[in-house]
Amino acid sequence: MSVRVRAASSAACVALVGVLSVGLSACAFPYDPEHTLEKVRSDALRVGVSENPPWTAWPDGAPVPGEESEPSGVEIDLLTGFAQTLDADVVWVAGSETDLMAQLDEGELDVVVAGLESTTAWSSHAAITTSYAATRDDAGAEIRHVMATRAGENDFLVALETYLLDQEVAP
Amino acid sequence: MTRRFGDTELPEDIERMLRRAMRLEWLSIAFLVTAVTTVYLVMGSSQAMQAAWAEDLLSFIPPIAFLVAVRVTRIRPSRRHPYGHHRSVGIGHLASALALLTMGAFLVWDSTTGLLSQDHPPVGLVVVLGHEIWAGWLMVAAMIYTGIPPVLLGRAKMPLARALHDRVLYADADMNKADWMTALGSIVGVLGIGAGVWWADSAAALFISASILRDGVRNLRVASGALMDERAQTYDGQDPHPLQHRIEAVVCEHLWVDRAAVRVRDQGHVFHVEVFVVPARGAEVGVPALAAVREAVTRLDWKVQDVVVTAVEELLDALVEKEHGSAQEHDPSR
Repeated sequence: MSVRVRAASSAACVALVGVLSVGLSACAFPYDPEHTLEKVRSDALRVGVSENPPWTAWPDGAPVPGEESEPSGVEIDLLTGFAQTLDADVVWVAGSETDLMAQLDEGELDVVVAGLESTTAWSSHAAITTSYAATRDDAGAEIRHVMATRAGENDFLVALETYLLDQEVAP
Repeated sequence: MTRRFGDTELPEDIERMLRRAMRLEWLSIAFLVTAVTTVYLVMGSSQAMQAAWAEDLLSFIPPIAFLVAVRVTRIRPSRRHPYGHHRSVGIGHLASALALLTMGAFLVWDSTTGLLSQDHPPVGLVVVLGHEIWAGWLMVAAMIYTGIPPVLLGRAKMPLARALHDRVLYADADMNKADWMTALGSIVGVLGIGAGVWWADSAAALFISASILRDGVRNLRVASGALMDERAQTYDGQDPHPLQHRIEAVVCEHLWVDRAAVRVRDQGHVFHVEVFVVPARGAEVGVPALAAVREAVTRLDWKVQDVVVTAVEELLDALVEKEHGSAQEHDPSR
């Protein structure tokens, strides 16, 4: 028994040291397993937009493939500002919430905005950000507003959350 | 208040140890309340943290089982309960083992599916007192907090479990002592998430679940063995209890005894002892002779209680072959 414990403990120590050295050798802790933040910086921020005014809207109607259209809304402004801090272009993609979440899961999108609330059922499929604003519903209960990012891309998640927490959002 | 195990008045040092064990178990419960709350607040979507939380929750069972059992075993034997209430220890032990087994199996399944479906656990920022901090660091801090005290508690409980011959206390101490592995496993999992190794979390969860499951299987084996009236074993269920041989030796010292064998039943804290004696040829066996043997055996140890001495013509085969350690003894037929 004690031999097994010792073997397990030394294995655990090796693992801990290994993980620590990987983690501390570069300062960008936590890391993205799929390097989302790096890709956004060098390429573009790919945003899925499902209409839900006043958070997200397509004033000229959602674009069909080949057409250009610019979305608007509180969340659109936030992400435009976020992309600027990263020096990144933004690609807006229209779709239903379900389609966009599937694309997010596949890594075809980096973030989905749809006027999501913190109680969203998508939390098992995507990483839900911390809330950037709170409103009240008709009954007076608090609604906390969030966005969805690709699950596990924690460097990107932390970067977006850091930006969102710095913003004063008054819908 | 004097502590008793049924009719057995405890020697002073044993009683002191019992009080100490009870204090330690209350301390464990108090610590677990803070640990469970802390881990719940920071665990987020890390599977390893959730498994560690489940283990902390399960850790409530042995201390509670111990405290309840100590209270119940104090009740004196009565007409309705002629053997006393010592078996409550066994029931507590079996309940702990089943809880560990069920939860361990569930968590192994849960973390395996997490690994197979390639769950990428998201861990983002939290705001603590106005500071933004990566939630992973909080998880690591929580695990350091929950990892250290159980080891100290476990180390303090272990010698008491041995002296009191309490298997629930032993199981508890043993689990406590291994708790740092759970904490370290979670820390590795969380730091793994931070390092971009998505599977580290599920793998750590699997490691923790497997250790819970192993605890369950081991405890179930010992607890069911005790409830099946297995030969009395040491507190950790590893070896035959040395008292058995000492009893046999004491009995054989009596001149009228030709051969003798004992059947020792572990009731929890105390032993019920049946002594079978084949008298020497021509020896007259009367009540005083039997009573003398009974008294000699009772004096051996506080654990020895309810000694029955009976003269027989032949010893039961199972008892004579006891060296082979058969776990399937005959039904006790009185």
